[in-house]
Amino acid sequence: MSRLAEARAGAPRRSLRRVPISIVVAAATALVFLFLAVFGTLVAPYDPDLQDLALGVAPPSAAHWLGTDQLGRDVFSRLIVATGPALAGPIVVAIATVLVGASLGLLAGYFGGRTDDIISRVADLIWSLPGLLVAIVVIGVLQGGLWLTVAVIAFISSPHAIRQTRSATLAQIGLPYVAAARTMGLSDVRIVVRHLLPNVRATVITTAMLDFVTAILVFAALAFLRIGVEPGAANWGTMLADGQTLITVNLAVIAAPAIAIVAVAASITVIGDWGHERATGEAGR
Amino acid sequence: MSAVETVLAPPTVRRHGGGLRVDSLDIRAEGRGRSERIVRDLTFDLAPGAALGIVGESGSGKSLTAKAIIGLLPANVLATGIIEFDGKSLLDATEPELRAVRGATIALVMQDPFTMLHPLQRVGATITESLVPEVRRDRERARNEVVRRLAEVGLDPSVAARRTFELSGGMRQRVGIAAALAKDPALLIADEPTTALDASTQSDVLALLGGIQRARGMSLVLITHDLGVAFGVCDRILVMYAGSLMELGAARDLRDDAQHPYTRALMRAAPPITHVLERFDPIPGNVPRPGTVESQCPFAARCEFAVDTCRTVRPEPIAVTPGHGVACLRLDAVRASLRRSDGATLLRVEEPQAAPDVARVSGLTKSYRRNAARPAIDGVSFSIGEGEALGLVGGTGSGKSTIARCMMGLATADSGEIVVGGLDVSDFAGLTIAQRREAYRTEQMVFQDPYASLNPKLSIGAALTEALEIRGGGRTEVPELLERVGLPAEYATRMPHTLSGGERQRVAIARALAIRPRILICDEPVAALDVSVQAQILELLRTTQAEQGMSMLFITHDLAVVRQMTTRLLVCHNGVIVEEGPTERVLDHPEHRYTRQLRAAVDTSRSPEEERLA
Repeated sequence: MSRLAEARAGAPRRSLRRVPISIVVAAATALVFLFLAVFGTLVAPYDPDLQDLALGVAPPSAAHWLGTDQLGRDVFSRLIVATGPALAGPIVVAIATVLVGASLGLLAGYFGGRTDDIISRVADLIWSLPGLLVAIVVIGVLQGGLWLTVAVIAFISSPHAIRQTRSATLAQIGLPYVAAARTMGLSDVRIVVRHLLPNVRATVITTAMLDFVTAILVFAALAFLRIGVEPGAANWGTMLADGQTLITVNLAVIAAPAIAIVAVAASITVIGDWGHERATGEAGR
Repeated sequence: MSAVETVLAPPTVRRHGGGLRVDSLDIRAEGRGRSERIVRDLTFDLAPGAALGIVGESGSGKSLTAKAIIGLLPANVLATGIIEFDGKSLLDATEPELRAVRGATIALVMQDPFTMLHPLQRVGATITESLVPEVRRDRERARNEVVRRLAEVGLDPSVAARRTFELSGGMRQRVGIAAALAKDPALLIADEPTTALDASTQSDVLALLGGIQRARGMSLVLITHDLGVAFGVCDRILVMYAGSLMELGAARDLRDDAQHPYTRALMRAAPPITHVLERFDPIPGNVPRPGTVESQCPFAARCEFAVDTCRTVRPEPIAVTPGHGVACLRLDAVRASLRRSDGATLLRVEEPQAAPDVARVSGLTKSYRRNAARPAIDGVSFSIGEGEALGLVGGTGSGKSTIARCMMGLATADSGEIVVGGLDVSDFAGLTIAQRREAYRTEQMVFQDPYASLNPKLSIGAALTEALEIRGGGRTEVPELLERVGLPAEYATRMPHTLSGGERQRVAIARALAIRPRILICDEPVAALDVSVQAQILELLRTTQAEQGMSMLFITHDLAVVRQMTTRLLVCHNGVIVEEGPTERVLDHPEHRYTRQLRAAVDTSRSPEEERLA
């Protein structure tokens, strides 16, 4: 720990002044959604499940900013409350994918040979599966909920993390500092954890962010098909599906969740890209 | 200014143009709201048909000066001042005008022959592409022209049908020169054309460049970090340091009567091949960033003659004799010291004593590819005695690094035996973890490239602590270790990228020393460093080796360096040890043809200091 602190102390201070405006916007968007995900139930103006059948579907108004759906539920509240579940699944997927993928990628890259062959071929095999189709079949047949969905999506996106980490590791492995670590007689574990991991960290984090984005989209797609979702619960994907018949009366029913999905996916992609560029640019010096 | 102009009266008769005048050239890097001056107030000219050498270390601004002349500065780098070529301003020229000049009247030869040619194109096509359109369109004429051009650079006509990857580095550089000369330019700019080449190839290519320049009456600007190279080819030499002109004069004047402390220090810093120096004469410190020495003498911080005014006033070039300008405020003091000293210290080397072996290599063979035409190393055998400094010299691809890699377990030999400290380490993969640790406590390695041999994410202190822990030591010993390699204890908290190349190499040496090995393997430890810094590192290695009674295997391509560092020498050629013996005997009376060739290549570019002693 103290050693880490020591390493940080020597690192150059990054100035915040040079952050481009697009990143500021993306970060602000991501933070807003993160806030809604955590405190959504407290912020929502209405109970998302409160039905007002007398009102039925209605366009946006002062009382209901984004109008109501066919059961008279407040779309704005449903949108906010759905943020938590919409982000939680993908976050768990991203973490799981990266933990498994980065470890396997590091192992494949560092040891090479037979280890690499086995890991890489299995990754290729998973890569070749039609991901969404597999998810639909597995989750549909097993009647699974959130956690099965997380597991399946993590499984099908793990090859991405494996390949990215492996190639980042291969780029480092030929550098003399790795040879120097070997010739000091350090153990393989120490070389991988202490020397390689910090130098591929930027790639790992970016990969996690991109996997998160993919997962958001897959979750939404599955929810749209009503797979792996609880009937009646507020969910961006199901809102999209339910709203299809209502667009003529209240466009917001379908536009709001669509924009939310795109906004989260885009902001995380932009931040991830930028972070990766900065990190690799610095490592190149 | 007027002083400089009188310095630079053009001496040669004009034959077909090629005169270059550079006046008050400033080059600035703009960006991120800052602007840094990289080259400051540079004035020189080049008479038609003359050869000018621009000599400087990394960061001296020599390459940017060349790029400014040919209009190829990077986007955020701006040049101001005057650059005139045959009376026409190049700085004011538009891009189409410059394009007409590039290649046709001013041509450029680049440093790295391995990346500058199209990898799949045949040599004939490469040269044809550069010919003037009239010749290029007529197939028959173009073919004859290619043959003629190849002959000019000493290549056989059959080379035209070959592809880049089939050629050696020296042949590629010759092709590069032939292509650059295809439109018969009036001025050829060669940017470090031989740096990537072997010593013996290097002297051939330089001789070729010089010969062509004289035969064609073409002007030549040769950019190099090596004064010896410039002496060999150029009539006039411009020495730059941190973006400023230090000294400018005829090559002969600089050879025999260099007056700037920097030029003199550079000459002394390059070790001689003829004898062993008792002590190296390194220039202390590191090359500064040009922007930090704007209003002072850039060399002041490293100069033995510096006084306070050197740090506050910028010296203008003064003509010491016609045609010889020196930018130094302390010329009188420098001259006074010249009269006093100049007794070079010669050190007699004792015959190497027979000592028990710490490492023995026998019959080592290794191929990288299964069907390779010849193995990278083929039946190499030698031993290293306790406390002995053994040298291993050879050119690129001679297999010298492969030997080191096999000894360190970074490559596995196909056959043969390596015994280190009584332990058979021929196959590292077959060793137990304990045996491997034992082996690495016996032998340690210093790598060539200090920019990549330190983990960029690990502080200096953390890197050294890790090494110390192997010997049961810890963080408390870091300051002492840093001091031993001449670095302040505060460096423990620094990250590698904040250090200069020389400092990084010191850290890498400290890391190896922390383990207290019995053998230190050094693979080209100074090849990636600036000339003025190399001697510091060599001195450090030599004194630690002697003080610790440690054995050393010193691998290099540089015969002068190996003379200073070792008592016994192996010469490696095409994977075979072709000669072996006491360093003094091998260098002074080489027996094998290859050794003689290496030695001859050095002699052609000797510094004057050595010549006087020889």
